[in-house]
This record gives sequence, C-alpha cells and structure tokens, in this order.
Amino acid sequence: MKKLIFSLYFLFLVFFDWFSYLFVDPNISYLKSIYTGYYLTNRGEVASIYSLLVVIFFIFFFYFLKLVKNKNLSLKEIIFLIAFSSLILLFSYPAMLSYDIFNYIATAKVAFFYGENPYLVMPIEFGNEPILAFMQAANKTALYGPFWILLTGIPFFLGFSNFIATLFSFKIFVSSFYVLTCFLSYKLSKDRFTLVLIGLNPLILIESLISSHNDIVMMFFALLSVYFLLRNGKVKSYLFLFFSFLIKFATFFLLPVFLVFKKIKDRQKFLFLFLSMFAIFLLSNFREIYPWYAIWFLVFAFLTPKNKIILWVSLAFSFSLLFRYIPFMYFGTHFGNTPLIKTSVSFFFPFATLIYLFFAKRLNR
Amino acid sequence: MRKILLLVTLLLTFFNLFAFSATADSSYVLPYPSSMPGSSFYKLGLLKEYILKYWYFGDFGQFTYNLKESDRYLVEAKTLFEYKQYLLAYQSLRKSNQYFKNTAPYLLKAKEHGKDIKDKSIILKEAGRKHLQVLNILKSELPSEFTWTPEKDSSQSLEISRLLKASIDLREKYEKVNF
Repeated sequence: MKKLIFSLYFLFLVFFDWFSYLFVDPNISYLKSIYTGYYLTNRGEVASIYSLLVVIFFIFFFYFLKLVKNKNLSLKEIIFLIAFSSLILLFSYPAMLSYDIFNYIATAKVAFFYGENPYLVMPIEFGNEPILAFMQAANKTALYGPFWILLTGIPFFLGFSNFIATLFSFKIFVSSFYVLTCFLSYKLSKDRFTLVLIGLNPLILIESLISSHNDIVMMFFALLSVYFLLRNGKVKSYLFLFFSFLIKFATFFLLPVFLVFKKIKDRQKFLFLFLSMFAIFLLSNFREIYPWYAIWFLVFAFLTPKNKIILWVSLAFSFSLLFRYIPFMYFGTHFGNTPLIKTSVSFFFPFATLIYLFFAKRLNR
Repeated sequence: MRKILLLVTLLLTFFNLFAFSATADSSYVLPYPSSMPGSSFYKLGLLKEYILKYWYFGDFGQFTYNLKESDRYLVEAKTLFEYKQYLLAYQSLRKSNQYFKNTAPYLLKAKEHGKDIKDKSIILKEAGRKHLQVLNILKSELPSEFTWTPEKDSSQSLEISRLLKASIDLREKYEKVNF
C-alpha cells in the first residue's frame, strides 16, 4: 500500500510539473515551442485544477504525517521522498505562480554580466535586454540583500549565458538550500515528524522547488545561526544571522530573540523564534502577504510541533496561502475583488482552525 | 454661479499657461544647492563624494555619478557666484567641468560593452542644454576677470570669462557628439 501511495505521489508531482508549463508566458521566446496560452483562455478550468492539485497535495502530506506519527515511515523513506520530490519538481516551470526568479536572474545579470551596481541601475536601463520582454520588476533596482546578489553569481555563471540553463541553474541552486534546510531541521530536532512537516509541506515545496523563492535560502542561514547559537558558537551564530538578513531583511527580527536567547527556557526557544518571524509575517500584511513569506515562520513552527495551536495554525496557513493565487488565476487581474478575496482566503482557514481549537479545548475540559 | 464657473475656468486657463511656459526650456532638473564650502557638512559631502565614486561602479554607474557631481558642482558654482565668492565658485565650476568631461567616455565605453545607450545619451544632451542655460546666464552677469585677494595670502587673478567659455564649449561639444 505504502509503495503504491509513493508511486502515486511521484506521478502526482510529475503531473504538477506538466501543469506548471500551462503558465508559460507568451513573451518568453526561449519557450515559444511549448507555449499554449491555455491559462489565458481557460481561467476557470486552470483555477479549478490548481485548487484540486493543492487539495491532493495536502492529502498526500497528511498521509505522510499520519505514517510518521504511527512510526510507519522510516528516515530512509522520508529522505527518499524528499530527494525525489526535489528531483521531480526541479523540472517544473518556475514562473507558474510568481515571476521572482526572473528578477533574480535579471539582478544577477546587471551585476555580473553588465558589471553595474544593481542597487543603482535597473534592468530596464538595458534596452536591448531580452529578459525585459517577460520580467515584471524591470523598473526596480535590486530588491534583495547584497549577500543574495553575491550568491546568485554561482547559478548565474553556471548558466553559461544560456537563458534556459541559467533558469534551471537557479532552480538547482535554490533547491539545494531546501535540501540543506531539511537536513538542518532534522539535525536540530532529531525528529522525523518535524522533517516531514518541513520537507514535505506543499507550501514549502511549491515556493522553494517550483517558484524558487530565496526565502528558503534566508531561512537556511537563519537555522544555521540557531544551530550554532544552541552550541554556544556565538560568533558563527551572529555571522550566519548576518548573512541571513543580508539575503532578505526579514530575519533581522530574530536579533532581539538572539540577544536574550540564553535567558529563554530551552523548550520555549523555538517558540520565541517562531513568534518573532510570525509577527513580521503578519506585519508584512501592511504591504502584501505573499504565500512564500510563510516559510519564515513555518520552519520554526514545525521545530516545535508539540504546541498544537502553533502546529495547526501553521498548517492552516500553509493550506490557505496557496489559495491566494486563485483569484488572480481566475480573474486575471490584481484589482477589483481580487485583493479582498485574497485576504479572505489567507485568513479564513487559520481563523477557523483557531476557533475550532479553542472550542475543542473547552469541550475536552 | 455662472460668474464663479467663469472665474474658475479663467483661473485654471491662466495657471495652465504658466505651466506650459515653465517646461518649455528643458525637462532636465538640476539639484537644489547642497551645503557650501566652509560648512562642516561640506566636508562630509566631500567624503560622501569620494565613497560614492566606488559605489557607482560600472559604465552606467560612473556615467550617472559624474553627471550628478557635475550638476551638483554647477549649482554650487552658480550659488557661490551669486554671493560673490568668486574663488570658491571658480573652483566649483572647474570641478563641474571635470566631472562633465568624464561622462561621455563612460557612455562610449558602455556602448563598446554592448549596452544600449540611447536613453542615457538623451539624458546627457538634456543635461548639457540645462547647463548651457545656467552658464549663459552667468556669462551675462559676471565680470570677465576678477582679482581675488585673500586676507593672509597673495592675490590671484581669476579668468572667469575664459573658464565660462571653456565650460560652454565643452557642453556644446558633447551636444554635437553622435553616440
């Protein structure tokens, strides 16, 4: 039975890969041969299929969680699942849900190909640049920290000036940080349940392996700094935290917790780290909450799986935030009812979960 | 009511006329004057100028840096000339010229490196035109020569008109360059 489920899961991921190519942008000349335009003409179908896929993804995820809870999933099997998930999703189209990967490539190109300062020069200033045809933040200077820009030199040079090779080089680069984050979370928790929660969580998988968001890279360095902080390696710890917030500035908010880390009780350490990242996640709502921002707090939330409220609210967020994409998929606009529906779907499940947990607790008394 | 409507329409038309005449010369905007020599902030400004030289790396970066500094020193020179601080103004204008001189070579370098310089060359020409406006006003208002006599030093002759001519020639030369 388990083998059959594993096979079905991998088949499902292959289908997800195929589905992602329905979203190929018409302006990407490099992928013209596989462009269908299906997502532009069949918005209803695409949004429905995507919703169904997210639900199936979560069914698999909860099945794996159940297996590991019942001690029916060995560490070897989890590693196998993580490795194959990474491998299969590596071949997905990265701009299915977000165009950020093009921004990463464009910024790297400004810095390493054109030799300009990406904090001063925008991609749009290179009028003959082919990436301008399909990237969405061409009129912005670099949005991320300098350490991230420095790191992107690796996948950029490994792309050998070929766009498709560069695109997948970036995917491999970010995926490797996802694998490293899984490894580190297991090293920190020594808990297979935590490893499944982080390594097979659909939101983390979609945002890190399909969309290749750099949040997982930032969180890897944050986890590494926590790892050293727990082992009294203060210098290394602060150094990696510094690297982390030089990728994306969100983990700067871990600093207050780091400063009082010794005074916090052992079993509450991850709780405080979770709370600080959760607070900054909620604060980002003043601008816009993007689904991949959830990675900031999910990693710490799943390192404390004994706290049921945190666990279930985090799982609810993992589920609901993936539905934020649907209004745009369906309406094709970020205006009108889209923002309201997006906010509603983001918070409905977490609120409902909270209310359920509150009443369930009362009834159990 | 009719009278009020007529008055508002007339006023709006009047202000619109002014809006047109304000943008007729050049769309390029020079910066506000920053701190002036003698102030301690000016020394900080010099430090900033030195650091920014490295921050603005790359052909486009250096082009922008040199043009910005040229603008800044031109405004500084204009202000100092207005306050009859001829020696300091003279030095600022020389600096502005030096920075302006550096712009085109970086643009040509960018072209050599395969970068599209169409927009930047338009910016440079617009900037040059704006500089010329300022320089021509200064030319009509300033003495051709001035002898600057500091309190504790020997006097110095400042060939203002010659410097202004060189400044104008440089801008005109760059305006004719086909990038």
